[in-house]
Amino acid sequence: MDALVADDVEKRYGGTAALDGVSLSVAEGEVFALVGPNGAGKTTFVRALTGTTRPDAGEVSVLGESPAAVDESRLGVLPQSFSPPARLTARELVDYYAGLYDDARGTDDVLASVGMADAADTWYENLSGGQQRRTCLGVALVNDPDVLFLDEPTTGIDPAGRRTVQEQVVDLAAGGATVLLTTHDMAEAERVADRVGFLADGELIAVGSPAALVREHGGERRLVVETDADADALGDADFAAESRDGELVAYGVDPADIGVVVRALDDAGVAYSELVWTQPDLEDVYLELTGDRYARRPGAVAPGGEVGTEPAAGTDRGAEAGTGGDR
Amino acid sequence: MGALARVGAEAGAAWRSFVRRRTAVFFTFFFPVILIVIFGALVRTDPTGAGLFTEPAGYYVPGYLAVVVLFTPLSRVGSTVARQREGNRFEKLATTPLTRAEWLAAHTLVNVAIIGIASALLLLVIALITDAQFALSAWLAPLIALGVALFCGVGAILGAVADSQDGVIAASNTIALPMLFLAETFVTPDLLPSYALPLVDLLPLTYFSRGVRAVTYYGSSPATDAAILAALALVGFAVGAYAIPRTD
Repeated sequence: MDALVADDVEKRYGGTAALDGVSLSVAEGEVFALVGPNGAGKTTFVRALTGTTRPDAGEVSVLGESPAAVDESRLGVLPQSFSPPARLTARELVDYYAGLYDDARGTDDVLASVGMADAADTWYENLSGGQQRRTCLGVALVNDPDVLFLDEPTTGIDPAGRRTVQEQVVDLAAGGATVLLTTHDMAEAERVADRVGFLADGELIAVGSPAALVREHGGERRLVVETDADADALGDADFAAESRDGELVAYGVDPADIGVVVRALDDAGVAYSELVWTQPDLEDVYLELTGDRYARRPGAVAPGGEVGTEPAAGTDRGAEAGTGGDR
Repeated sequence: MGALARVGAEAGAAWRSFVRRRTAVFFTFFFPVILIVIFGALVRTDPTGAGLFTEPAGYYVPGYLAVVVLFTPLSRVGSTVARQREGNRFEKLATTPLTRAEWLAAHTLVNVAIIGIASALLLLVIALITDAQFALSAWLAPLIALGVALFCGVGAILGAVADSQDGVIAASNTIALPMLFLAETFVTPDLLPSYALPLVDLLPLTYFSRGVRAVTYYGSSPATDAAILAALALVGFAVGAYAIPRTD
């Protein structure tokens, strides 16, 4: 049975379409990650499902009911930019929200599960950003929900904190909970989600498992050679290649083929300073689907002449030649 | 039992949040006290003269109480609604079993407690530093509670309508100041222009003033004014609860 269903959902704010005909089903026990640029409509979609905004058109259902009719005790929600009372301790906050439900988990259990046991008696305003977000996650978990909505749950959290949250999500799903989360962290989506949906300009432009999306939209494995040589330097090596801005990029190179490229470069007497092998990931899918491909490498020149200046996050999946795979 | 527990949880969190803001606590109680010091002890009443403050000091007791019953819930609940909206707390609460009426009931309870304490402090200060003669009555408790409930509802409406905490403060002052001086608190009806008199009967604070004055000054029954105040409180509370944001 589908826990979440959206059918041709539309929502406009003035002349802007926040959601433009979004249709999606999320099965019970599934972890679904919604990704997309800022303003793509992710939060609006979450709000449509939680009943905190009303779609202009289309239908949504949660656990087979309209958001207005669904039993709130079966839902857990962590809104984006959620800011609970600042002068309550983490323990008091969990107690407070637990008190809103007839049946809630034990406070100590919740705090321990989000890694907040040691800072439980600190006022919220005195917690670090990561501790604050983990406390908020605990608040969303107090009622042991069947469906959990997490709107950017790891924003502002350090890597260890992110991992704690992600482990929680995986554990919840293993226990049968359905999770819909939004994130800008492609590695997080890839790590925790069964399926990922890409929203852009209010439209759901791609949905699938991380592996399927990478296969379909991520492009080929590639070897990037820091050199001034052009594509002819590869000689007889049977790879598509292009030269751009001090790099020679060979496409379709498997780890086992790296030696072939190296030998071809040596045979041609080409000097190079670095070899980086990468395989496509969800970030490549994101950049491909959102048309922002050339923002990934600082100084890279897009076909239209626009210079990308933002080093993209999550590019640490590349591996130096010879290491044989991902780090 | 579930609703009571939810109201208790919300009220407990609101009470702790209030008492831990020392500045808010201090000025909540200091504001009405300084008003008594200025008007009751420094300006003083002048029963033999003309103009303002010509009634005996005891006449103005409802005015002093009205200051806290009117201003405190308006600004506190109004700014709480605005603050909670800015922190997406209503978005969170909308997905819990807590209803809007329960939320407002919890915050009304907290305000009744705060203003009950402030009112007791006021009466003590009035007795100590002015020569006011006034009677104490069990009626004061329901009159104050009803007044607080009414203006908590109005505060919720202001908080829902205003787009920021600053907007709430400005709006509550704009509403409260004229009401305070037109509602038979510090200005007797005979000092008002005739065209303003119908307005006096339309102001909810008027029935609080009349009720409190009936028991503290005239020694008469406040039942009629209390009944009108109760009806207005019911309407104010219902509209206020409905106004609390649940969706965008």
